[in-house]
Amino acid sequence: MIKGKGLALCFGLVLLAVASQAGHARESDLSAQAGKCLQCHAKEGIRTKFAEDSESVPARVIPAAFKDSVHGVLDCTACHAAYLPEIHTKKRFRSREQFRAATTSACRGCHSNAQIGGNPIHTNFLKREREGEAPVCTDCHEAHSMTPVSGGKIFTNEKQYCMSCHRYQMEMICRNKERIPLKVDLSELEKFAHDKLRCSDCHFGFSQEEHPKRTFRSRRDYTVASSESCRRCHFDKYTKTLDSVHYAILSQGNLNAPVCNDCHGAHGIAHVSHTAKGRVLTTQKCRKCHPQVYEMYSKSVHGKALIDEQNQDVPICIDCHTTHDIQNPLTLQYHERIPQMCGNCHANPSVVAKYGLSIDVLKTYLADFHGVTLGFYKKQREKLYKPARPIAVCTDCHGTHSITGTGSSNSPTVKANLVKRCQKCHPGSNENFPNAWLFHYKPSLSKHPLIFILNTAYRIFLPIMVIGLILQVLLHVWRYAVNR
Amino acid sequence: MKGNPAEGERMIRRFSRLRILEHWGIVLCTLILFATGLSQRFWHLDFSQWLILKMGGIDNVRWIHRYAGVFFTLGLILNIVVAVAGVVRGRWSPSMFITRKDFTDAIENMKYYFGLDDHPARCDRYDYMEKFEYWTILMGGFLMILTGAVLWFPILITKILPGEIIPAAKALHSNEALLIFLINALWHIINAVFSPEVFPLDTSIFTGYISRERMAREHPIELARVEEGVPAAPPPAAGSEKPAGLPVVTLGTSE
Repeated sequence: MIKGKGLALCFGLVLLAVASQAGHARESDLSAQAGKCLQCHAKEGIRTKFAEDSESVPARVIPAAFKDSVHGVLDCTACHAAYLPEIHTKKRFRSREQFRAATTSACRGCHSNAQIGGNPIHTNFLKREREGEAPVCTDCHEAHSMTPVSGGKIFTNEKQYCMSCHRYQMEMICRNKERIPLKVDLSELEKFAHDKLRCSDCHFGFSQEEHPKRTFRSRRDYTVASSESCRRCHFDKYTKTLDSVHYAILSQGNLNAPVCNDCHGAHGIAHVSHTAKGRVLTTQKCRKCHPQVYEMYSKSVHGKALIDEQNQDVPICIDCHTTHDIQNPLTLQYHERIPQMCGNCHANPSVVAKYGLSIDVLKTYLADFHGVTLGFYKKQREKLYKPARPIAVCTDCHGTHSITGTGSSNSPTVKANLVKRCQKCHPGSNENFPNAWLFHYKPSLSKHPLIFILNTAYRIFLPIMVIGLILQVLLHVWRYAVNR
Repeated sequence: MKGNPAEGERMIRRFSRLRILEHWGIVLCTLILFATGLSQRFWHLDFSQWLILKMGGIDNVRWIHRYAGVFFTLGLILNIVVAVAGVVRGRWSPSMFITRKDFTDAIENMKYYFGLDDHPARCDRYDYMEKFEYWTILMGGFLMILTGAVLWFPILITKILPGEIIPAAKALHSNEALLIFLINALWHIINAVFSPEVFPLDTSIFTGYISRERMAREHPIELARVEEGVPAAPPPAAGSEKPAGLPVVTLGTSE
């Protein structure tokens, strides 16, 4: 038993010694040759000049970085074959291009095409090389601080791992020859909403172990495909988009329909902002695809207030059209929801009262012929049949994106314009016809006195008559009872 | 069944078949008009919305209302034509005229109700309450037809009249409808159904007959005239009672 324990102890000590040796090997001193070279090349400011021009490149090697690099165990001459510590040739590179080509060929001396091609990232580079465009290894891989690729385990996090390549100007070439830049600006990325996410949270399938090769038909294909990542976290928003007109267009094969990235961006996804500036930016996003609508909106009473006065009370695109489940505004169902949309602000005293606007506009509309009909059409749509007749709503008289203040001279609500709008649904109507509508006013002695007087007269007469009739009935019954 | 003739009780013919038919017509018509019209006036009530949807939606309801209005108009014209023809041909007396006696009858009845008189007013063929109902519905009916037509053809109307006539017509149409409804629902139904003398139903407008006992109590002057064998007497003391209503003479058959 004691013998067994002794053996185990010895074995343990041996293991410890081996491990310690290995650790020392990893952090061993540089080779004697490298040490000699670094006597000069560790100095700050050392540069080498090209023969053809006055350009130069740094020739400094940081000993600590080189010692930690995967090539730290090599002699300098393993790559710089033309130079020896004893014989430091005066050979100079003609130009930067020659220098870059020479460094790449030095790498390729050890790293075969088969080895390089094993990593899918390199596939494109090799392809481009075949087409005459030679890649330069040191564009991505630092010459003297090369880290081992085995599992990338030396990176403290995934983002650092990915950025070791994606900080460089790289491109993905689509089948239609469009190029997609793959460089990521980490400093920019960290300012935005997704700064805490790992790359693979969105770029699923990619990791420190896996980097599948993907090719896309076009840049647009890539954008559409990459927007699929968003649903992994924003499933509620994603399901809403499935009901949107944008998705309907997309599902019909029109790739120009906007997807998540088109409005929110990819790496620069901003935090939700309810400030005036944020609201202006939102309208700009819609403007990308709907410039004419934006043009009209920017001249409207709402748009001017937003853009010129930074007014936060006025509606922006998404207040009426919503954000993710944007409906086709040309449908009857959408049309029928308009009074409610306008009413969200125009029937809300906290929004419109400060501008001296009446909050009765929705109530007066809903109580009149059009409003009542509209209310029933909405109900009937659910239960009975689908009425095809559009009923005039707010936008039919006031305009939609080009809406102007009712006080302005070119307002579409002035009667001359209004009669044209009436005639759309009521052919043959003349200039008297719009006056059939009370213009949102409640009848009073100053506004529509005739209606006011008629209503008041009945309001007084009806109760008097009813009380009189009831008294007559009660008296009759009472007399009948007394007589019996 | 106090309103219905008892066994062996002597019955007197009060309404002709035309009047019975006319009453059925107006019952049907007003029921449809009230159902389709008041549900539009009180559109915001749950019951109205339920009713309108049951009737096939707002467009259907509006068309039913208009057609019922046309039917009502025809009935009204028929009523007036028949009445005028009957009076002109000397077959009927203008018993539905509002006379000074109606006002004195009302006061007399009030006195009776308060115990200041020992008998109610002695009425002829139609008492002042029946006349009030008739004339409110007749005059209201005219107003309803007129304003209804304005609302039906707003484009045509505004070609000659100012646009404000449309909301004015709407105000009149809906308020007047409520007035007629209250007179019908409240008063007429109470008088014809819940009045202690006739409860559970005054059947005279359905059978055409009224008991002599009720006739003696409610229409003693007409009873006296009938029993004296005068077929179509003019209204009592016609010379002293000038018509107070519009010159529309109607109803009052002594067949």
